Amino acid sequence: MENTKATGVPARFNVGDRVRVKELPNLFYTRTQMFVRGVSGTIAERTYEDLIPEDDAWNRDSAQPEQFYIVRFRQKDLWEDYPFEGDTLQSEFPDRWLEPISD
Amino acid sequence: MQQPHDHDHGDHGHEHDHGHDHGHDHRAAPMVEEITDFEVLEIAVRELAIEKGLFTAEDHRVFTEWAEQIGPAAGSRLVAKAWVDPAFKARVLSDAVAACAEIGVDWKEPTGSGTPSDYMNLRVLEDTPTLHHVIVCTLCSCYPRPLLGHSPYWYRSPNYRRRLVRWPRQVLTEFGLNLPSNVEIRVEDSNQKCRFMVLPLRPAGTDGWTEQRLAEIVTRDVMIGVALPRADRKSDDVRPVHKARRPVEHAGQPVAAAQ
Repeated sequence: MENTKATGVPARFNVGDRVRVKELPNLFYTRTQMFVRGVSGTIAERTYEDLIPEDDAWNRDSAQPEQFYIVRFRQKDLWEDYPFEGDTLQSEFPDRWLEPISD
Repeated sequence: MQQPHDHDHGDHGHEHDHGHDHGHDHRAAPMVEEITDFEVLEIAVRELAIEKGLFTAEDHRVFTEWAEQIGPAAGSRLVAKAWVDPAFKARVLSDAVAACAEIGVDWKEPTGSGTPSDYMNLRVLEDTPTLHHVIVCTLCSCYPRPLLGHSPYWYRSPNYRRRLVRWPRQVLTEFGLNLPSNVEIRVEDSNQKCRFMVLPLRPAGTDGWTEQRLAEIVTRDVMIGVALPRADRKSDDVRPVHKARRPVEHAGQPVAAAQ
């Protein structure tokens, strides 16, 4: 990709891996929505490597880029009383917001 | 803003006191929308850039004119071509930015690396008989602008953004789209640098159609995912007219809009 930055660091997750979104504090800026914090999902795609938004927002161009992933969640996992079994939602994250799980 | 004191309606509580003599100057106060902090910031940065000679005011106007004339027609062409050409569809799904170049859309315009927020990471989401995609940007307004032009107003509204992720079926119903519960609805949030567009199923009744004719039924809303394409409905169809039951009258006659 033309305007993204490569790290050479191997990606931690593969498509199909189960992950959980970490409960990290907001450092002035983030694109990780509150409604996915602590929720488990499945890696749907490895997208690109780039600065994380928390650095990109302040033009910290020398910061370490990370691999980004699209994660697929079940709507029933996001919203306790969600009435439809099969519906899903996808959201994108840099590596540091995700942790592996084995459920 | 300077105003005559007798128009200071808010302070004197006589907004509706219009029955008195109109002999004196009684111009209506201008309606001024509030300006957001971001708009103030944009104007300040733009004026600084012009002062410093980075670009001229006309450069800015020309870019704005270019950006605002991009409509959804290119997206419609992409969908129609993918419907009739399986090899092209495969390229759309594997490298959408490259596939866009084949239909004359260069995601690198106008800077060489895209516009400041469109980036170069397009994903086209293919619907199936049991999977329906719909896109949103919960953070603000990310949208595949090189293909679809500017997003509609409602797409950027907090109402759509916060409710689509929570109640997608109810929101789609408000757009007139009711999907059976055995169809998985997949909400795709454009919350980072990927941009998304929906590739809907080709509707029945379109066998043998040319790409151009197919493109006419692929409307903007279809590519956002809040509508499905239909053989009998084109983007430039005449909209239905619903006459008012109690039309506004002037001098005993209905006014033009209600006729």
